[in-house]
Amino acid sequence: MRKKFLVEIILAAAVAAFGLTGCKSKTAMNGAGKSSNAEGSVPPLGGGPDGGITSGNGGRPSGMTGEPVKGQFGIVYFDYDSARIRPSEDAKLQAVAAYLKSNPGNLVVEGYCDERGTAEFNRALGERRALAAREELVKQGADGSRITTISYGSDRPADPGHDEAAWSKNRRCEFGIVNQ
Amino acid sequence: MFQRFKGEVFITLILMGICAAPVSAQVDVLKGRHSFGVSGFGGDASIAGQVTDVLKNDIRLSGYFALSPVGSAEYVESGTVRGDRSGVVIECVVMQQATKKVVLSKTYQGSGQDLRRAVHKLTDDIVQAITSQPGIAETKITFVWSHGGAKELAVMDYDGYNVKQLTYDRSISVRPKWSPDGRKIVYTSYKNLFPDVLEVDLYTGQRLRLAAYPGLNTGAAFSPDGLSIALTLSKGGNPELYTMNAQGGDLRQLTHSRGGESSPTWSPDGRDIAYVSDESGAPQIWMMGRDGGAPSRLTTAPSYNTEPDWSRPPASSDMKPMLALTSRVGGKFQLGVYDRGTGAVTPVVADGADNEDPSWAPDGRHLVFGKTQHWRTQLYLLDVVTGEQVQLPSIEGGASEPAWGP
Repeated sequence: MRKKFLVEIILAAAVAAFGLTGCKSKTAMNGAGKSSNAEGSVPPLGGGPDGGITSGNGGRPSGMTGEPVKGQFGIVYFDYDSARIRPSEDAKLQAVAAYLKSNPGNLVVEGYCDERGTAEFNRALGERRALAAREELVKQGADGSRITTISYGSDRPADPGHDEAAWSKNRRCEFGIVNQ
Repeated sequence: MFQRFKGEVFITLILMGICAAPVSAQVDVLKGRHSFGVSGFGGDASIAGQVTDVLKNDIRLSGYFALSPVGSAEYVESGTVRGDRSGVVIECVVMQQATKKVVLSKTYQGSGQDLRRAVHKLTDDIVQAITSQPGIAETKITFVWSHGGAKELAVMDYDGYNVKQLTYDRSISVRPKWSPDGRKIVYTSYKNLFPDVLEVDLYTGQRLRLAAYPGLNTGAAFSPDGLSIALTLSKGGNPELYTMNAQGGDLRQLTHSRGGESSPTWSPDGRDIAYVSDESGAPQIWMMGRDGGAPSRLTTAPSYNTEPDWSRPPASSDMKPMLALTSRVGGKFQLGVYDRGTGAVTPVVADGADNEDPSWAPDGRHLVFGKTQHWRTQLYLLDVVTGEQVQLPSIEGGASEPAWGP
């Protein structure tokens, strides 16, 4: 493997550094409307069933889509193995719902888990958390068609530690605004 | 970036003292290993050493043999290697020592870069000739490479060599699964911010977006005939199981539960799908026909069972299809195998580390999984017949969510 490319943690940094650049709203993508589903190629690994395996070259990074702007809303936290919205978190959701009712733009609800479950199940659990928050926002009068969920599972922890103090900070939903 | 062996093959056989017994009585018959003596290769001394090392490692990893001194071994190998401008030529003879019967006498050719591949082919031929079982030496494993907060896909030989990076998105790419023909890998990618199911063609490098619905798109798994893909979508407001065809069309919803469904794996005959549902309160393994219908619950204990993978050994092999999974017991993750007769889960790796995400080799005897110790994850192979674990060469930054190719 050649160290030709710089690998940096850009996802977390991008949240702070990025302005908004037209992140496409997922709510517009109902159903299977895929006019083109090409996704940019990668260096091929092989020349065919009988061919030798060639080694990948350095490849260029693909374009980044704008990240949601976060930090304006309180983070909602969850109990271990649970997607239930605790009563203590209600006020934070009320603030988000109130904002949406008075301001334009779309909302992204990100769902996260601590590191202790298995990876794929955590993606589903993180999604259940994000959906639970979304459902609560809709119940409080927010427009559900403007709210999209993204589950990261146990990726992108808020706290990289390996104890309950860190884990409790990682079981969370974060809210970001995306202007169209 | 990736650590490599310093020119020498080095495999640590870790016999875990707490490792539980092999899975069922039917595999006890297979446990006996043949002693195998490797006398090496004459000819080009500059190549012979490496050829011998690769062969010894392959023979050991196959599970069918115990390396032993040539003089006392049941089977003995001898041969020559010759290097020229176009590559390497390996001639090999394997003989049953007591009867002097030649079980294999063959010549292999490969380009200089393909030396390992030529030896892998030799080993699979040896395994087939002596045991009539399929070898794994020519297979590949894909996995998630973690580094600096990003996750990329990579592919390597089954023994951990020839690691090749597959994605360069500087994003999160996870949960890879192979197509049955070994040509494509479907996976979950956040390169467009949202978790989508992408497919990459390993020969052309072309990528397609197969599922990009609102919410979660993940867990894509090819049916054994390669015509369908099961996956998890949350576009209906809850993570549920769906199927679609291999081009991403003909989407059908399978599950309709109050819980979340995820992690589908197909039965070998392609008629059923096992998956994870937490509708009972905690995640357990359930099963449903591929066209939907009433779900049936498979596991009840331990209290957390996820990440099932259903083996597909060839009909000619001695192994039977088995459902491997990850259980959480006492806060630690174990690998287990589900017994459909008893409904119980038999632990196969339970050693105090976190052992997750088993993926079966096509022989239905070996599997690859991620073992996390001190919060670092590396890949290990398990031979379920002998219970032996082998750590693959370390990947700097960590490796997880492996999938064994066909």
